[in-house]
Amino acid sequence: MSITLQEQPTTDRGFWNDTGKTGIGSWIFSTDHKRIGLLYFYSVLGFFLVGVVLGLLLRLELMAPGRDLMSAQTYNALFTVHGVVMIFLFIIPGIPGAFGNMVMPIQIGAADVSFPRLNLFSWWLYVIGTVLVLLSLFTGGGAPDTGWTFYVPFSARTGTNVSLALFGVFILGFSSILTGLNFVTTIHRLRAEGMTWSRIPLFTWSLYATAWVQILATPILGITLVLVIAERMLGTGLFDAARGGDPIMFQHLFWIYSHPAVYIMILPAMGIISEIIPVFSRKPIFGYKMIAFSSLAIAAAGSLVWGHHMFTSGMSDTAVLVFSFLTFIVAIPSAIKVFNWVSTLYRGSISLDPPMLFALTFILLFSIGGLTGLILGAAATDVHVHDTYFVVGHFHYVMFGGTGFAFFAAMHYWLPKFYGRTYKTRPAVIAWGLMFVGFNLLYFSMKVLGMQGMPRRYYDYLPEFANLNMVATVGSWILAIGLVLMLVNLFKGLFKGAPFTGNPWGGATLEWSTPTPPPTLNFITEPVVTHGPYDYTALKHDVREADSGVTP
Amino acid sequence: MKTTYLTTNEAIDPVFIFIFGASLVLLLGITAVMVYFVIRYRRSRSPEPTSTADGNLWLEIVWTVLPTLLVLAMFYYGWAGYLALRNVPEGAMEVNATARMWSWNFAYPGGRSGTKLYVPAGKPIKVNLTSVDVLHGFYIPAFRVKRDIVPGMTNHVWFTATKPGSYDIFCSSYCGTGHSAMITTVEALPEAEFAAWLKEGAAGEGAAHPGLALLEQHGCLGCHSTDGSLKIGPSFKNIWGRKTIVQSGAADRTITVDEAYLKRAIMEPNADVVKGFAPAMPPYQLKQDELNAMIGYLRGDTVAVAPKIDGKTLAQEKGCLACHSLDGSKGVGPTLKGLYGSQVKVTKGGKLLSITADAAFLKESIKEPGATVVEGYQPTMPPYPDLSDAEMNAVLKWLEELK
Repeated sequence: MSITLQEQPTTDRGFWNDTGKTGIGSWIFSTDHKRIGLLYFYSVLGFFLVGVVLGLLLRLELMAPGRDLMSAQTYNALFTVHGVVMIFLFIIPGIPGAFGNMVMPIQIGAADVSFPRLNLFSWWLYVIGTVLVLLSLFTGGGAPDTGWTFYVPFSARTGTNVSLALFGVFILGFSSILTGLNFVTTIHRLRAEGMTWSRIPLFTWSLYATAWVQILATPILGITLVLVIAERMLGTGLFDAARGGDPIMFQHLFWIYSHPAVYIMILPAMGIISEIIPVFSRKPIFGYKMIAFSSLAIAAAGSLVWGHHMFTSGMSDTAVLVFSFLTFIVAIPSAIKVFNWVSTLYRGSISLDPPMLFALTFILLFSIGGLTGLILGAAATDVHVHDTYFVVGHFHYVMFGGTGFAFFAAMHYWLPKFYGRTYKTRPAVIAWGLMFVGFNLLYFSMKVLGMQGMPRRYYDYLPEFANLNMVATVGSWILAIGLVLMLVNLFKGLFKGAPFTGNPWGGATLEWSTPTPPPTLNFITEPVVTHGPYDYTALKHDVREADSGVTP
Repeated sequence: MKTTYLTTNEAIDPVFIFIFGASLVLLLGITAVMVYFVIRYRRSRSPEPTSTADGNLWLEIVWTVLPTLLVLAMFYYGWAGYLALRNVPEGAMEVNATARMWSWNFAYPGGRSGTKLYVPAGKPIKVNLTSVDVLHGFYIPAFRVKRDIVPGMTNHVWFTATKPGSYDIFCSSYCGTGHSAMITTVEALPEAEFAAWLKEGAAGEGAAHPGLALLEQHGCLGCHSTDGSLKIGPSFKNIWGRKTIVQSGAADRTITVDEAYLKRAIMEPNADVVKGFAPAMPPYQLKQDELNAMIGYLRGDTVAVAPKIDGKTLAQEKGCLACHSLDGSKGVGPTLKGLYGSQVKVTKGGKLLSITADAAFLKESIKEPGATVVEGYQPTMPPYPDLSDAEMNAVLKWLEELK
């Protein structure tokens, strides 16, 4: 990856050149959390774009009934790879790996994470896992066609290259576990003087909750995937009813990880929103403790709701009762967060800069996703929409409209800080508008299709579903155009744009108190924290406009 | 038609309305407040914040407790509706559905079966669901019912089609290449019409030729059409004698479709794959006579030949030969060699009798072996009441030949 600047900005280049080392080795073997964060950022962004292209191809095939441009087998492989790439290569490692690494140590006033070399190793595991997953697409029996959920018995019988893909995901799991371990230790041990638990920024709080889920839930996925490999290679029969095994047991094991994994995906996104909204409202976050606590509550309760993916599976009705109940309980902390974010706006001084625009959009899209989740949590209504496009629409609202838009918000919020240059506002707003319109055309159509009964993972569909599929496909084009515009504008700005210095938005968290870009050890002098992360009265107005470089 | 119980639609639809309604109110409320704040407190109008409030205990309590009550109500209605889906009304008609990659078979009491689900309108129907291969899902959007079909267990759904008509059935759980083609319909008929349909029995749909019936029964028609239309596999229309390019391994070659090719294509489908199609077909192990009947149909034979059943093969399949020898040696049961027509001593109803092992005796011994037990043997043989008349006749004929 080449990250070079055309001309030197006015300020010192910080961690970009203060070690004196250059070349690719200074990146892929760096233990600096900021460099590792950028490595993750470009890796996950690259795979996000791969996933987007696959998604656009899927939509193109579904534009009209019948065969449009690919065979059923190709389509099945494409949606599987779209899911695997988006979930395991983009959205799970995305925010913690990229922005967690870049920002979290600075937010708590540390020079780096607790285990910098382990941190680098995590990125390498990510790369190795990724290579294995990619290899599985072009070797053996060809790209896996099981769907990202790898349900048995189909995944145990299909001739495609499932085993290698599973092994790749197994390795990716270790990357996730080690990142979680590193973050928990860092947040416990490396906080600056005065950084009490109630002064930890909410983004760091959300990473803390996430890290526990990564540590506790990921091993179960690892074991489950190894069991499927054993089923395929050794014929162990663990999931084969004919040999005393149980296909439904696989679903339990899979979702014991994969439902909490949803919170690995969304919690850090909520953390980003909790940072951006107060800064652009110039008002302390409303209900700091409730937001921090609700992150932990979501992480804890979210670990007990996996069975709501299985209401129609044939598990006992008692299990349906319990999982439905717990699912509604986990809805409450999410609602609390939304109410607190909106209340933060009250009597503030609101500026709709691009990060804020994306953050407010998150609230709307996440609310739509979350509220349609209630339909899925209620046992009666879930039966009708389970395994339909309603579910596809729901999780794209939560994961793309939620986590994706939070990722874009973070890009516009933090990347100028690390590059020392910034993007133009107007194209960013136009790109946001296109994406917002395209997104809703695409995914709202899916929800309606699901209500009408169109099952998911369908290569072909009946004529009654044709119109809305066409709308969805057109929406995907608008969304893609907005996305390209956003990225072009952002990267043009980061590499060639106007200098970005100081604390133009007036953030009170520690990353806004360091030089821009931050030096390798983050702070010139060790910071001493004397106020909360959203205490803007402590910030002098002139500090907002000037390059501070000192502890507020 | 009004029913005395809640139909699945009546149980589910109000829950949708309740949750969507409450959600819409919440969503509009949140959005309106957000948009209002953004406009009212925009920086150009409100250059400095006019509040530094960072929380309010009472507000937190209110917006914790109210959503809790709301979601508990949703949970309760959701659960109540779900129970209605699980409790089958009294007097429901049972149909056994078998799902396979990628077709449906519905079997009725009385022996009728087919790929469409015919039901009487206005009556509750319970569908028992089994799968012979991987996970499938039985989904009728019109009646809001869905259930996964899991190999190794029997699930069920029930529904009532209140009005006659045709309703889609989808496979909802991903099952491979033909997943989206695994669709059929519920055909709800007025009750009298349905009764007539059921009585038609084997003379009805799909039974014009025994080969066609077999193709349907084994699910072949899920992927291969008979009318020339393209499905997952090549169409059966005019298949006999057709020149086709197949891929054998990496090489392409042209073959003429004949009996040898068709047999190989059924039993080892991945050996020669017709160019342009994915190697997606599972191999089938079929009996020779079934294979012949299928091929006869594909050849275009107009004479409907009932599949010939071989008594010996049947005896092997049913496991008879584990206890009964064919060479005169004594096993768990008496040998079959020379049994037909011989004199045997039997115990019947506690009395010792000497009888002739004729067709009637042998028939009874197979269907109800405990009734008359040959002297010197234990009454351990399980009954085989399910043999069809054709099968029984084939077995008896074979036994006669064993003399």
